[in-house]
Amino acid sequence: MNANTETRAPARTGWVSAAGKVNASLLSLVVAALAWEVIGRLADVPFFPPLSDVLGVLGDLITDGDIFGNLLTSLGNLALGFALSLVAGLVVGTAMGRYRRVNAALGIYVYALLTAPSLVFAPIFFSILGAGQASIVAVVFMYSAFIMIINTASAVENVSDSLIEMGRSYGAGEWQLVTRVILPAAAPMIFAGIRLGMGRAVTGMINGEMFIAVVGLGRMVTQAGKRFDGAEVLAILLVIIAVALAAIALVQFVDRKVTGWVPATSKESG
Amino acid sequence: MIEISGLGKTFIGQDGAAVRALDDVNLTVQENEFLTVLGPSGCGKTTMLKMIAGLLPWDQGEIAIGGAPVRGPGPDRSMVFQNFALLPWATVLDNVAFGLRMRGVGKKEREERSRELISLVGLSGFESKRPGELSGGMQQRVGLARALAVEPSVLLMDEPFGAVDEQTRRLLQEELLAIWEKNRLTVVFITHSMEEAVLLGDRVVLMSARPGQISEIVPVPLERPRSSDVGGVERSSDYVNITAYLWERLREMHEERSVVAGSGPSV
Ligand SMILES: Nc1ncnc2c1ncn2[C@@H]1O[C@H](COP(=O)(O)OP(=O)(O)OP(=O)(O)O)[C@@H](O)[C@H]1O
Ligand SMILES: [Mg+2]
Repeated sequence: MNANTETRAPARTGWVSAAGKVNASLLSLVVAALAWEVIGRLADVPFFPPLSDVLGVLGDLITDGDIFGNLLTSLGNLALGFALSLVAGLVVGTAMGRYRRVNAALGIYVYALLTAPSLVFAPIFFSILGAGQASIVAVVFMYSAFIMIINTASAVENVSDSLIEMGRSYGAGEWQLVTRVILPAAAPMIFAGIRLGMGRAVTGMINGEMFIAVVGLGRMVTQAGKRFDGAEVLAILLVIIAVALAAIALVQFVDRKVTGWVPATSKESG
Repeated sequence: MIEISGLGKTFIGQDGAAVRALDDVNLTVQENEFLTVLGPSGCGKTTMLKMIAGLLPWDQGEIAIGGAPVRGPGPDRSMVFQNFALLPWATVLDNVAFGLRMRGVGKKEREERSRELISLVGLSGFESKRPGELSGGMQQRVGLARALAVEPSVLLMDEPFGAVDEQTRRLLQEELLAIWEKNRLTVVFITHSMEEAVLLGDRVVLMSARPGQISEIVPVPLERPRSSDVGGVERSSDYVNITAYLWERLREMHEERSVVAGSGPSV
């Protein structure tokens, strides 16, 4: 028995296309930065200063050290709110995807809360939880949990029946089936939802900090806005974007660790 | 020994129409017999196999294995799937060890045992590959190794070679024969191919559709071992006659069906 001739080469993105991708994003950044600078200078309006001014203010914020305490506060709110929604997303989502009855019972609420503008709950949290961290964490949760629940539910529902049947035929119990077959099989799609959830969590964090408890980066934006300091508003916006990108990069990093088995070709086209 | 008596099952389809998938099926599979099951598409082969596997409940009748009634999946049976049903994220080794793991066999023992089976199916050196890196034939070897790893007394195979190319299929048939001839266990093997049914089986069960019933059981008096001289088997008059006979019967079934379909009300 010789099976050697049957191997197939694993599909991987080569370094050529990887390098091409880096160049493409670099180019797009340079173009955007130039456009910002030129339009900022030409327009000459207080709330759209050119990039160089904004970067100058950002440099000051960093050298003053003003931004770090606020950044840390914001990251704490983000981490806590996101962690809670992740747990809810996985647990509720799995239950909804696997059990018809749970889906029937909860589906309507999850969809309602997904589509409702999350900020309308802010006054409710404010009155129940007060103007502290708890309210912000709750807002972050409202922003990010439901998309993850729904994504996880449909990922779990879409796991192929034959894999589940295979698991059952080898005597897997419900818990083994969920942890050893269903969740790993659903992982790539679950991660797509986690990525969306992370993006929404950052939005929730800023909105919470701007409209409920005025702390963290949200407070800095609000205060700069009141001072009509357009450059500082945009400088902090850059920081917020950096936080969002870093958070999503973290999700992608974990995603690659967990779902590295998905052939590169079916994930991205060079 | 598998004893099936009076087995019946009606599916209610999504349109509300009832399909009599199995009707009064009676069948005894002997200990260490290699039984092949042949029949037109939709005659209930998979349904019957899943019931033996304990994966699907039935409406009437009884299935007993070694005298014990089937009430669900059990460690005495394992299944090989047409679409392989491998875990795409797991290595060959982990896939083969899956059944052992579900049964709580310790890591060291299950890896040792899995390596033996990987070598039995000719995949040594591929232990750390993932299914996506293997050809269909190799993937089904993994499926077979996984099924054998749990040391079942009954092996259930649902068109296991239906998804691989003709040449690989012939190799796999020979390999399966060789493995079975060395270590005989009870096999129920579903196929669409008359040739495969005769080459592998001690008896061929011919099923007919609507309702799914056993229409005839054809003994295959070909000598064993057959794996050493498959070409010789295929030239023997028994082989030629039985495959021809089976095709005749299957053709009749297809014709009956098209007559029925043709005379029915046009919807
Ligand atoms: N879950 C189900 N719901 C409704 N009908 C079903 C279901 N499973 C099977 N059937 C019907 O029962 C009949 C027998 O199906 P089965 O899959 O056992 O046939 P088969 O002999 O394995 O066919 P094939 O050779 O195509 O694999 C078919 O008419 C099929 O449509
Ligand atoms: Mg079938």
